[in-house]
Amino acid sequence: MKKKLLLPVVLSLIISAQAIAAQGNKENGKIIYDKKCWWCHGEKGAGDGPAAKFLNPPPRDFTAGWYKFKTTPFDEITPADEDIFRMISGGMNHISLWKGMSGTSMPNWDDVLKEQDRWDLVAYIKSLSGLEQPQKPPISYSGQIKSSKESIEKGREIFKKMCVECHGEEGKGDGTKKLKDDLGFRTWPRNLTKPWTFKVNNDPKEIYTRISNGIPGTQMPSFADPSSKKTLSEEERWHVANYVASIADDIKRPKDDTVLKVIRLEGDLPSKIDDPKWAEAQPTSFYFIPQIIAKERFFTPTMDSITARAFYNDKEIAILLEWDDRTKSIPGDEKAKELAEGDVLEDSVAVQFPVIIPEEMEKPYFGMGDSAKPVNIWQWKSGTTSAPETMKLMNANGFQKIEQRDAAKAGLKAIGVYNNGTWRVVMKRPLATEEKDKDVQFAEGKYTPIAFAAWDGSNGESGSKHVMTTWYWLLLKPATPKSTYIIPIIVALLVFGGELLLVRKSKK
Amino acid sequence: MKIPRLLLFVILVALSYFIFKAPGIFLKQPIPSSLIVMYMFFAVVTILLWMTSTEEGMQGLIGPIKRMIEDPGKKTLRNIIFVIVPIVAAGITYMQLRPTYEAPVELRSIHPAPPSTIKVFGKTFNLMTLENPYRKLEKEDPQKFAQLVKEGGEVYFKNCFYCHGDKLDGRGHYAHGFNPLPANFTDIGTIAQLQESFLFWRISTGGPGLPKEGAPWISAMPVWENFITEDEVWKVILFLYNYTGYVPRSWAK
Ligand code: HEC
Ligand code: HEC
Ligand code: HEC
Repeated sequence: MKKKLLLPVVLSLIISAQAIAAQGNKENGKIIYDKKCWWCHGEKGAGDGPAAKFLNPPPRDFTAGWYKFKTTPFDEITPADEDIFRMISGGMNHISLWKGMSGTSMPNWDDVLKEQDRWDLVAYIKSLSGLEQPQKPPISYSGQIKSSKESIEKGREIFKKMCVECHGEEGKGDGTKKLKDDLGFRTWPRNLTKPWTFKVNNDPKEIYTRISNGIPGTQMPSFADPSSKKTLSEEERWHVANYVASIADDIKRPKDDTVLKVIRLEGDLPSKIDDPKWAEAQPTSFYFIPQIIAKERFFTPTMDSITARAFYNDKEIAILLEWDDRTKSIPGDEKAKELAEGDVLEDSVAVQFPVIIPEEMEKPYFGMGDSAKPVNIWQWKSGTTSAPETMKLMNANGFQKIEQRDAAKAGLKAIGVYNNGTWRVVMKRPLATEEKDKDVQFAEGKYTPIAFAAWDGSNGESGSKHVMTTWYWLLLKPATPKSTYIIPIIVALLVFGGELLLVRKSKK
Repeated sequence: MKIPRLLLFVILVALSYFIFKAPGIFLKQPIPSSLIVMYMFFAVVTILLWMTSTEEGMQGLIGPIKRMIEDPGKKTLRNIIFVIVPIVAAGITYMQLRPTYEAPVELRSIHPAPPSTIKVFGKTFNLMTLENPYRKLEKEDPQKFAQLVKEGGEVYFKNCFYCHGDKLDGRGHYAHGFNPLPANFTDIGTIAQLQESFLFWRISTGGPGLPKEGAPWISAMPVWENFITEDEVWKVILFLYNYTGYVPRSWAK
């Protein structure tokens, strides 16, 4: 009886919330829009503001009237006002300091705009394409199936049938199709193993919403549409949502600790990429950002992080670099050509060290060194159908002064393997080399600056167009000295002895 | 009610520890642990000196310990404490000795003193006397001024927002890749404190133009002389102040 009473109450609450939203004041919305939003979304909302040229995905064109992240069903083009309000507010997900839509320049506005202002913006934005209220209510989550081993297993099967063509075998967005959105812009299927890059987030409810409603304007389809070849029952959609939520790989998420610790091994270092020993190394991940600092700049990256692991022994150091790249770019390869933006160039990765490890904090400039302080750059390239992979060694005093050197002579070697959306490259070099004034000399316990860069050859990246990091640290971690364990025991004994003395004294 | 002296001692020590830890917990700017150890040493010594400065205070502190050792009725309690104390001491020693391998702390000056002159755009500028040529229009021709601010905004949203943020809060969509973080213009610690000539210097010469104490090797701020014109630098400065509502510091102040 009570439940029946509750329903109308809830319904009327929803309706009144919508009524408030509908009351959003268009005129005030426009005032805020003209101060804060037009720079990207354009003066008239056509997505053509001055910033638009530097963005992929492009700012939404509000005159087109479609919204990607909505809760209304696939056959209802109009989003709920709450959907737009939520995307403006942000905070569903975040990369480190970014609380807006991940992988885009759309920030969260809840920190600078009052709630009513955000509703006013909803009203104004909707008016740009003449959207009314949706005819259909948001989809229901009442049939939710809790995640379980069985559900995830069922989801895995469905994923294999329905999603891999775009999202790839292991969900890393490395599908076999070149995708464009409705306005002709290149879109990249989400890397589902990196939930922090989701534009909303990887709560199974959200994933279920995306699968059921699709992502309008993009090729991410609705799987609830009975007229499509790709229909999934409600139950199947929950299973696949649970599966997608389960494949998150937190190792790849950069954390606060950014010292790459190189672990000491007795005996040989692993030289194969799939050596199980690598599991004993300590992974550290770093955010990539596109090279937006010096000419020619580059604004449309496809790769967002790199994970490094490393070992050393008394002779050598070996670094395993692992980064997700949706395309294996081998010039001359027909399949690579189908997916590429423009010509297929080689994929590549590089690490950079100062030639002289600084004793003080003064390092070479992070962008390829400076005239006073050179850097070593170790660059691996994927090779073409007619040439094998290569390893280059360069010394640079800034990007205009680069000396090509003989990698083999310095003992520098590398191999790379691509598998299901991930490159793995192992680089190896002796700790010390002959040309001590030209090569970084590694030493145990010494904090050594390190920076990374990578090129996606199917995304037009070469030369100065690439993704990169600034300086982080690499440390050959010394074995913990025995005294670390012995001294605390001695301290405990001393304190205990002191206590005994106290007791004896008090007894006298 | 009088707090037992021993308890007071424990509370004061715990409070000092919390105060030293707070910047790390709340502001994400932790004090290095070696410094905390030193601070704690001085804090404990100071508290002890203060609490034992009178005979009564001394007794209040030592009394309970003495009673615990001497009173046969408290033997079990004593034994338990006598086991725990050495273990805790060993634990603290281990935590101190254990190598942690945190990134080294690097101190840099965020607003280093500017040089007296700079050479950019093929000219020499005297930073001591340099002023924004458009500033006077704010009063003389507000309409023209508003137009210049808008043009400055376009410069910003073509060149700066992906680091300094759509909201000018230093949180652009690529900011997370940089350390130091791009400056937050809405914070009173940046442009509100600075003269327009300082901004002109920082913008046109970027990270590499910083003096040594500004750690030019790590600041990702591009050298804008290479990308935009002198005119555009002045306009983007107008925009920064206009959007945030701050006024530049002037020579008079
Ligand atoms: C720095 C550029 C930028 C600014 C400023 C900006 N946006 Fe966006 N916005 C974007 C981009 C880029 C997207 C598209 C993301 C995508 O397609 O995945 C977007 C998407 C949106 C969406 C669509 C969400 C959906 O579900 O499809 C809304 C609504 C929106 N913005 C509102 C606003 C409002 C309101 C403001 C001002 C308060 C604003 N934006 C300011 C860049 C910006
Ligand atoms: C025809 C290609 C295609 C297929 C098939 C496809 N997707 Fe997608 N998917 C996309 C694209 C493209 C995007 C990115 C859209 C954007 O944000 O612009 C995407 C985005 C997503 C997102 C991201 C949501 C967010 O918050 O960022 C999820 C989750 C997702 N897909 C799950 C799935 C699942 C599960 C399946 C299978 C049931 C599937 N997709 C099938 C193309 C596809
Ligand atoms: C690649 C990222 C990036 C871009 C793009 C960028 N900046 Fe910066 N900016 C920084 C960083 C990093 C700092 C340094 C903060 C520090 O030194 O503590 C900085 C500092 C500044 C400062 C000094 C503030 C102060 O308090 O001393 C000003 C002014 C400034 N930027 C203006 C601009 C303008 C104007 C643009 C666009 C024309 C721009 N920046 C573009 C990263 C960037």
